[in-house]
Amino acid sequence: MFNKKRNRFGETLIEWTLRLSGGTTTLVIVLISIFLFTEGWGLFKSSTVEKGYVLCVNRSNKIQNLTPKQVKEIFDGNITSWKQVGGDDIPIEPLRMDDIASQYTEEEIGANFEHLPQKLSEAIAAKPGALAFFPEQFININFQGRVLPAETITLKEYFGGKEWFPTATPAAQFGVLPLILGTLWVSIAAILIALPFGMAVAIYLAEIASNRVRKILKPLIELLAGIPSVVYGFFGLIVIVPLIRSIFHLPVGETALAGAIVLAIMALPTIITVAEDAMRTTPLAMKESSLALGATHWQTIYRVVIPYASSGIMAAIVLGIGRAIGETMAVLMVTGNAAVIPHSLTEPVRTIPATIAAELGESAMGSVQYQALFMLGAILFVLTLGISIWAEIIRKEPKVQ
Amino acid sequence: MKLEAKNVNFFYGDFHALKDINMQIDSNSVTAFIGPSGCGKSTFLRLFNRMNDLIDGTHLDGECIVGGQNIYDKSVSVDELRKTVGMVFQKPNPFPKSIFENVAYGLRVNGVKDKKIIAETVEKSLKQAALWEEVKDKLKKSAFELSGGQQQRLCIARALAISPSVLLMDEPASALDPISTSKIEELIFELKHDYTVVIVTHNMQQAARVSDKTGFFMLGELIEFNDTKKIFLSPDKEQTQNYITGRFG
Repeated sequence: MFNKKRNRFGETLIEWTLRLSGGTTTLVIVLISIFLFTEGWGLFKSSTVEKGYVLCVNRSNKIQNLTPKQVKEIFDGNITSWKQVGGDDIPIEPLRMDDIASQYTEEEIGANFEHLPQKLSEAIAAKPGALAFFPEQFININFQGRVLPAETITLKEYFGGKEWFPTATPAAQFGVLPLILGTLWVSIAAILIALPFGMAVAIYLAEIASNRVRKILKPLIELLAGIPSVVYGFFGLIVIVPLIRSIFHLPVGETALAGAIVLAIMALPTIITVAEDAMRTTPLAMKESSLALGATHWQTIYRVVIPYASSGIMAAIVLGIGRAIGETMAVLMVTGNAAVIPHSLTEPVRTIPATIAAELGESAMGSVQYQALFMLGAILFVLTLGISIWAEIIRKEPKVQ
Repeated sequence: MKLEAKNVNFFYGDFHALKDINMQIDSNSVTAFIGPSGCGKSTFLRLFNRMNDLIDGTHLDGECIVGGQNIYDKSVSVDELRKTVGMVFQKPNPFPKSIFENVAYGLRVNGVKDKKIIAETVEKSLKQAALWEEVKDKLKKSAFELSGGQQQRLCIARALAISPSVLLMDEPASALDPISTSKIEELIFELKHDYTVVIVTHNMQQAARVSDKTGFFMLGELIEFNDTKKIFLSPDKEQTQNYITGRFG
């Protein structure tokens, strides 16, 4: 009676195919995030001094190590005495390859640089305050200077650093603070612009528009979400950027404000759709009882519908921020990409995704810059993940005040 | 306040939902509408505070008169009308606010700002709705924390807070347990002193218990409208007799 009569091979096959593809997809996503973190983590293990190069000091120097930041300041001429970095009170004399080359004649160095190690050694020995930066290959056994240990970048320097100069020599600077702040700055400004418009449209669609208008308008708005971001960026570049330049009399129009406006337009469909859906879940009975108490339509909207939908509206805002934070192309095109901590909306800023897009192509695979960019990707990943989780939590909050 | 319907015909699109209804409802009385589902009794009730206006594609012929004024006249303000003609719905539907704010809602939307007046009115309304003793210590709590029966009494208190003259009740006890139902019924009996109460109910015993007059509706027509005693003991029409004895419906 209960014996198997039919061959269920086909069904089993389909079931296993579905299982397999589901499993594979999940695995790929997990692997991508792991890859992101492992690639990025290497940053904190590698030296920020350019590969193949070393920093050397006179043997009498007591300095044990220099941070990347200090190295940069020294070669920029902002730090001039060893005292400022914890050593003796002797002026620092930076030595680059060029300086050595200009001090000696070609004959003295030799046609194939064969005497260069000797000359370097002498130069460092002669100057107690010397800080030399040159290729590792020119250090020979008789070297009379002391090679400084290669310093790795610390978490504090990475997250607290205010300068992002990934290709600076001798020490590249990877401070992501300007990028993180730039991202948040543009995104929050975008939400502040998008919110009033988004809410207005959402209220209109949910409460005021007739069924026919809504049926036309809503798909249209959802369609906006599907336009490629480069198109928005193009629009921003051609329309908004020149407009901002002429309104604020700026030398360049590529500013945080331009980015914020373009992002606001891009976040609008998300905000409108989610907020409108939330408002439409308000039970008709609740609206009716408000009206039955003599409330006007508008009073009903802002005293009953909006409070009832408040968690959905919050979720809409958070999702809009999430969309803005992760946006790359449009922002890259209109914000000017200057990696400085933003002070106003009319300055250029650079966001995390724009940085990755702009620099990854130019960085050597496995280099410090490459790893720093992957770490940026990881930060972005955590940021958007956190925002999505936040939005989910808000959305599931009980609808009780 | 008296209510009157004159030659009322009502349409949902093409559907003729109410047919030639004439009725006079006395002030300070309880009137019950009974009849099978879909007979139009709720639709008729909702005409008196223009709740049907919210439904697209509806259309009314005839006059609904409240306190001597045709409420479908162009000069009538719907918001003002609804302050005079309050309504309690079938399902308890408190707002996502505190118990206090639920009752104060009607006052707030009507521009009352004086905190003392609001507090007094809330207390008075909750007492009228026989809910005060149960909630006086948790007025700040969410209205959703109350039981279904308490929520419905809260909705009644909410309707009473704006001191209407007429109270329309659309099956106010159909979603409640017997104990809550009897509390609501007692309440309706009390309310008669100050209000004109019209109640739609599926429960014929309820209609017999609380109402002074009863109207029997069927298929959009008012079959019979008379004193409740007469309707339940010796109705004039056979259809009424069949319905109240449970032969159909």
